[in-house]
Amino acid sequence: MDWEALWLSVRLGGLSVLILVPIAIVVGRWLAVTAASGKSLIEASLALPLVLPPTVLGFYLLVAFGAGSWVGRLWQDVFGHTLVFTFEGLLIASIIVNIPFAVQPIQRAFEAISPDLREAAACCGLSWWRSLWRIELPLAWPGILTGMVLTFAHTLGEFGVVLMVGGSIPGETRTIAIAIYDRVQAFDEASAGKMAAVLLLISLVTITLSYLLTQRVRRRHD
Amino acid sequence: MTDAAGLSIRLDQDRPIPLSIELSAVPGEILAIVGPSGSGKSTTLRVVAGLHRPSAGRIVCNGTTWLDTKAGIDVPARRRRVGLVFQSYALFPHLTALENVVEALQDRPPQARRDEGRALLQRIRLDGLEDRLPRQLSGGQQQRVAVARALARRPDVLLLDEPFTAVDRVTRHRLVRELADLRQDLPMPVLLVTHDLDEAARLADRICVVHRGRTLQTASPESLMARPASPLVARLVNLRNVFSGHVTGHSADRGVTFIEWQGRTIEAGLSDAFDSGARVAWCIPADSIIVHRRDRPSQGERENPLSGIVGEAVRLGETTELVVVVGGDDREPFHLAIPTHVARRNGIDVGAEVGFSIRAEAVHLMPAEPDGGEHSASD
Amino acid sequence: MVRRIGPFLFAFAIAVALIGAPRPWARGLPTIAAASDLQFALGEVAEAFTEETGRQVKLIFGSSGNFYRQIQQGAPFHMYLSADEEFVLDLAKKGFTPDRGALYAIGRIVIITPHGSPLKPDGGLKHLGAALRDGWLRKFAIANPDHAPYGRRAEEALRHAGLWDALRGKLVLGENVSQAAQFATSGSAQGGIIAHSLALSPNVSKLGTFAPIPQSWHKPLRQRMALLKGANDTARRFYGFMREPGGRAILRRHGFVLPGGTR
Repeated sequence: MDWEALWLSVRLGGLSVLILVPIAIVVGRWLAVTAASGKSLIEASLALPLVLPPTVLGFYLLVAFGAGSWVGRLWQDVFGHTLVFTFEGLLIASIIVNIPFAVQPIQRAFEAISPDLREAAACCGLSWWRSLWRIELPLAWPGILTGMVLTFAHTLGEFGVVLMVGGSIPGETRTIAIAIYDRVQAFDEASAGKMAAVLLLISLVTITLSYLLTQRVRRRHD
Repeated sequence: MTDAAGLSIRLDQDRPIPLSIELSAVPGEILAIVGPSGSGKSTTLRVVAGLHRPSAGRIVCNGTTWLDTKAGIDVPARRRRVGLVFQSYALFPHLTALENVVEALQDRPPQARRDEGRALLQRIRLDGLEDRLPRQLSGGQQQRVAVARALARRPDVLLLDEPFTAVDRVTRHRLVRELADLRQDLPMPVLLVTHDLDEAARLADRICVVHRGRTLQTASPESLMARPASPLVARLVNLRNVFSGHVTGHSADRGVTFIEWQGRTIEAGLSDAFDSGARVAWCIPADSIIVHRRDRPSQGERENPLSGIVGEAVRLGETTELVVVVGGDDREPFHLAIPTHVARRNGIDVGAEVGFSIRAEAVHLMPAEPDGGEHSASD
Repeated sequence: MVRRIGPFLFAFAIAVALIGAPRPWARGLPTIAAASDLQFALGEVAEAFTEETGRQVKLIFGSSGNFYRQIQQGAPFHMYLSADEEFVLDLAKKGFTPDRGALYAIGRIVIITPHGSPLKPDGGLKHLGAALRDGWLRKFAIANPDHAPYGRRAEEALRHAGLWDALRGKLVLGENVSQAAQFATSGSAQGGIIAHSLALSPNVSKLGTFAPIPQSWHKPLRQRMALLKGANDTARRFYGFMREPGGRAILRRHGFVLPGGTR
């Protein structure tokens, strides 16, 4: 059992959620109410990671982060090491890959809030922030929770992109999913089996928990 | 337009729906905006609240300019002091009745908010239900919470958007009565949007008739019913006895204007604004048509005596509504209502001949509709 | 009020835990990227190294071609052991390594068949030819010749035996030779060509039987290693250890042919 890899995956998932979800709330809220002309194109771009093969994403990220790109060079100048094959690079990749998993449920949740309520909040004199904090976020909470869980669970399970930009460095980029692959390659089926079971269990518990919470919130609201 | 106290509105836009609205209301006045669906009355309300921005317009409330498209002024909704009661009530579903009201009290000191919220709920007789969520309240109770929340801001203007449509008829009558009671305490202008003329007549000091985005006429309910500005307004306020004819002359001595209608001469009160020979429309309120009774002839019978055949008789409990065709021409029949016992005693039923008079003073003349004018004033 | 800031505190606590918590596993160990035919041999070498020096290294196994690409993109490896010396020599030319490194072993390929397979392992590939002719061979595993050195050698050997074109439609390609071994012994394929070192390991040898393919049928698998720019002291010592008798003995035991001297 590779605890190091499991902890790395959990950290990666947790940090992806913490960084991505606030961004997704802002973007999802904007997409839910905007009538901007480029909306469909923006939505389509944000959904791309959903349909693109991980290898395509991995390839572009590799090119974008690599020592040959200006992003990669800038990062190297500032931090003294490359972005690919590091935890930070993996985190950025994970955030990009998870954009649709976080944005879409959150956008749907904001869309489901009747415009009347938003207008009622304005007519009650609530500021934009108070309206978001007091009215919209509580009502959108089930969607936000879904976005969080999907992001976390998907990060735990992401393989293709991690394989391409990560490089399976223990303690740095070897996630649990990669560790399982490595163990299978090493004919170590006992370890692979154990880790697969742990991953399965964690995913099941996370998703069940989110369903329970969502159900409770729904019961409270309608 | 006076900018001192109250509300004055002037709106002009072509899109998305055409608007040409002009109206004003003074503090304490209830102004009902009446018109068929899609006439722009709700949009007008949303413009006042700051939820919709017209392409051109000016709104001044108690001397403060809320909107002036020419000057580039558009105060956002949250900074206009308006209380808006939505058709759907739009209560925050995750907050209790009290919390809903307290949300609108953000400008009060924090300690005072809950007490003031409780006081407001008490005023609309919802004490004891403070901690209920909206879904645990009846439709009528929800509406009252919405009113309390709208009043909580101490608004400069109170806006009611079809506030009674989402409840059953019995509740509706009670709520209308409650609002009528409450209005004595309302120091601000109140705009009431409704498609229900009875509701408007019962509550409003003045009624503004809106059609296809235009204000047609603003007047007290009584004068609107008696003296509509045009045949279109007459139809919109459900006046059914609207006829066409032309002026044949005036008699200043007798104070009478003569109209020719289907070969008959009808006497009306003097309206010398219309030239002799002018095509006009004329109308008569149902309560100024006097049905001749065999058992009890009366004074008024001498004015404009007419007789016709009853084409339809619909008995609605204590009253019976009649459609009477005069002179065999059924294009412009008279609609009148008489007590059911009178109809019965005088043998008035389908096919019977009935005589009636119309009071000359109550005959109201309007400019004739241009040919091909609008005939679609259905709701 | 507590209910309102509760979620914030919770999120903050998680953030601190995820970012700030000391990583419980040692960092700073040199990472050594090795061709996957070393999967078992190098693990043993590393153990012997730790026993002797008290120092530890981190091993990653994969396709030599992939490591070659990753190193050029800046992967933070300290040392690279390729199954094909061309990769190392090219990196040296491009300046990713301080020198041309050292030849550490010469690999051999074998044909392996899982227990119960109708295919008999014979180094001359005669039975494989018969299976193809008679049409009962379904799947045969080799490493991907595009980037895995063992795949290239397998292709050369199959071409030499005149079987390549007939076999092409039946091939399953492993991403590296270790995966090819996985495929070859899983029972889903009737056999495959893999590294001798892997076939000898207990994990694999229990799954099937194998026979070496003549070395003259393919170009030699000259395996070269090199330190990379930024290699630390431990990596340097490991590099040295690989060339000492202790390290060489382990490699020999795992089926590698050892070069006479260094070049």
